[in-house]
Amino acid sequence: MVRREDCGSPEHQAHRRLFLQGSMAAGVASVASFNGLFSIPTLAQETKKRGKKCILLWLCGAPSQFETWDPKPGTITGGPFGSIATSLPGIRISSLMPRCATIMDKLGVIRSMSTEPSEHFQGIDVLTRGEAPRPPFTRPILGSVVAERLGQLDSPVPQFVLLDPCPEGNEFKSFKAGNWAGWLGAEYGPVRSGGEYAIADILRPESIDGLDHEDREALRSFLSRKYQNDQRSQAAAGYNAAFDRVRGLMSCAPLFDLETLPVADRDRYGPGAFAQHALQARHLIENGSTFVMVANGMPWDNHVFQHEMHQMLVPELDNVLFQLVMDLEQRGMLEDTLVIAMGEFGRTPWLNEARGRDHYSKAWSMAMAGGGIRGGVVVGKTDPMGFEVTENAIDNRRLFATIFTALGIDAKEQYDLPDLPTFHRVEGNVQPIDELLIG
Amino acid sequence: MQKTLTRIHDLKLPTAILGACLLGDQNEMVAACMDGIYRVELATKAHRRVAEHESYVSSAVYLPESRVFVTGGYDGKLKWFSAQDNALIREQKVHSFWSWDLAASADGRWLASVTGQYLAGDYKYAPAKETEPSVRILDASDGRVVYSLPHTPSVQSVVFSHDSQWVAAGNLMGQVRVWEVASGVEVGGFETKDFTSWGIIKSHCYLGGIFAMEFTPDDQELIICGMGDMRDPMAGNGKQLWQRWNWKESKLVSQTLDKQSGEGLMEALCMHPAQDSFVMGGRLRGGDWNGALFDIASGERIGTIKSGYRITEFLFNERGELIVVGGQGQPGKNDQGKFSDFGRIEVYEIKS
Repeated sequence: MVRREDCGSPEHQAHRRLFLQGSMAAGVASVASFNGLFSIPTLAQETKKRGKKCILLWLCGAPSQFETWDPKPGTITGGPFGSIATSLPGIRISSLMPRCATIMDKLGVIRSMSTEPSEHFQGIDVLTRGEAPRPPFTRPILGSVVAERLGQLDSPVPQFVLLDPCPEGNEFKSFKAGNWAGWLGAEYGPVRSGGEYAIADILRPESIDGLDHEDREALRSFLSRKYQNDQRSQAAAGYNAAFDRVRGLMSCAPLFDLETLPVADRDRYGPGAFAQHALQARHLIENGSTFVMVANGMPWDNHVFQHEMHQMLVPELDNVLFQLVMDLEQRGMLEDTLVIAMGEFGRTPWLNEARGRDHYSKAWSMAMAGGGIRGGVVVGKTDPMGFEVTENAIDNRRLFATIFTALGIDAKEQYDLPDLPTFHRVEGNVQPIDELLIG
Repeated sequence: MQKTLTRIHDLKLPTAILGACLLGDQNEMVAACMDGIYRVELATKAHRRVAEHESYVSSAVYLPESRVFVTGGYDGKLKWFSAQDNALIREQKVHSFWSWDLAASADGRWLASVTGQYLAGDYKYAPAKETEPSVRILDASDGRVVYSLPHTPSVQSVVFSHDSQWVAAGNLMGQVRVWEVASGVEVGGFETKDFTSWGIIKSHCYLGGIFAMEFTPDDQELIICGMGDMRDPMAGNGKQLWQRWNWKESKLVSQTLDKQSGEGLMEALCMHPAQDSFVMGGRLRGGDWNGALFDIASGERIGTIKSGYRITEFLFNERGELIVVGGQGQPGKNDQGKFSDFGRIEVYEIKS
């Protein structure tokens, strides 16, 4: 379907091969639970082995750069929160981020994001797909691309997971209802879970024991695939694919249960839904998912009560990012796991009369860590009041070229699909941000 | 009886006015602004920046006996200044987080400052427990902390009773606690759900709360203000709301009458010196007023202001014929690339 290229990592190929072997072994052993599946040492070891992965902390609604990565204390635009020194000499960030201040040497921060869309739906579209739309063609979202390039489609563990407990979300709700995987196909879309979106009916009923369940599935599979082959039925093929996916979800149901995570870890990440799902993201990545997007509706869209909301949201983000980076490092996973924290744009330098900051896409900030990103780098500058980028403006294309390159995915590659016009993974022959890339 | 409110003075300051007090001669005010503390002569419009905090200045109160004004700031500090020459007399860090609001007792003996950072306390973002006492009661003469009192953050408003016997503090969750000033003992309070929104549409978290309070003339009840529930907290479109509570019996007495409110956060409240009416104001999100005078007996709206900017403070002069309004206009860069002044002060004359 696509001109498939591997990410370049021989370890990834080995990983994939061994994983599939392990899956079959698990099937033969009639192991129906995720924990049972991973009791097979080779599979567990290899699944957790190297292979680039990504966690996107999707700060939907758009956080303020002034209260995060680009504070302007003592100015009219700076807001009430101060700035603090960080582990990088001369670099200060918001006083709301004391934990991240201690790991700035592990973070790559862009203070000079400058993009076009200043409305949510369009901003979300561009900052999750990397490019403005070109109807009627739908570019796949970052998670779908990463899942397609680096994931294991045959894995029982979902390769692209969206954790978002908020069923609503205005423009984000509309976006969520759209086509995420685009021209890659629905199999690269996300499995959604979290809060009110807990995945239903993925636990095997107690009345059916594991052996019985496997026998039933074997019979269903035999008959269904025979029908599919005899009748050359696309419908049956789709039905079988869906069954395989559900079966995979059933086998890894505990991964989606927050209650199974250690209390000490849950306490460390913090009580809020976003923090808990960030921990769950780490758990999913650790156990075979390739891309996990963590969102929580659109809490950052603070047109009213900017400071009253950011006083809560930023400390949560600060702790979540700190815990994620430290956890991944301690587990030896940071090198291969890219963590991205960003929204669809930034917020205005001025405070409106509703105590809020409005949308601002001309000059905003975001941060990354691990997965091929060089830590201790702050890219770009804004003017003293934060109105304009004064150095090294970065748009969505350069950002995506950097993300793909860090993950070992060819940013300039052309999609090769039937009836698809010429599309590149990143358009415009742009260069990644070299100073942010390792090697 | 309906009143007419006519604007007779207006001026601008560089940044928003978040709090203010009138000084002894009633012609001069201290404005607590985002960028510092201003002395303002209302009639001549002359103003100058006389001091600052390390962050926004949130409140200013005047102690007439000692001719001292005290300011509170988002740096968690209180500062005492001589009203004569603006000399700094004392500064004191009383909170780790902001001083959201500062009040002085009518007898001039006490100050109360409230704080609290809203942090996630559970999966659905109920506020976490306080990490420092949310309410500090201080001796106004020497800054000594007399009582440190507990509440649930964030505590956004505080007020003394007219007889200086009680102090009340209201928070994000619509909880009001009342203490006896002399003993620091909690003697009453209530909880109203009507001022706090839990985000259904865009976000799962809490917003709103009680932003200003006044005791009724007999001190038996409290009038509180803020904004009614919002389905979309980011819209700021809750009802312009006041409620009147018997704080000893935790009983709702009355509230904004039907068809007398628009939409928008109400964050300023002040009792008329004659104690027969009160004024409430804030933001106009929908409707035709953002400041209004209410009859205290009937609750009827008896006069309105449509200022065109966010109202953050109301002050009556001693005779009660003038209302001084502080607020914030919509800031933005002007054609010269400079930040335009967005602090607003206006004076309205009240006529029957």
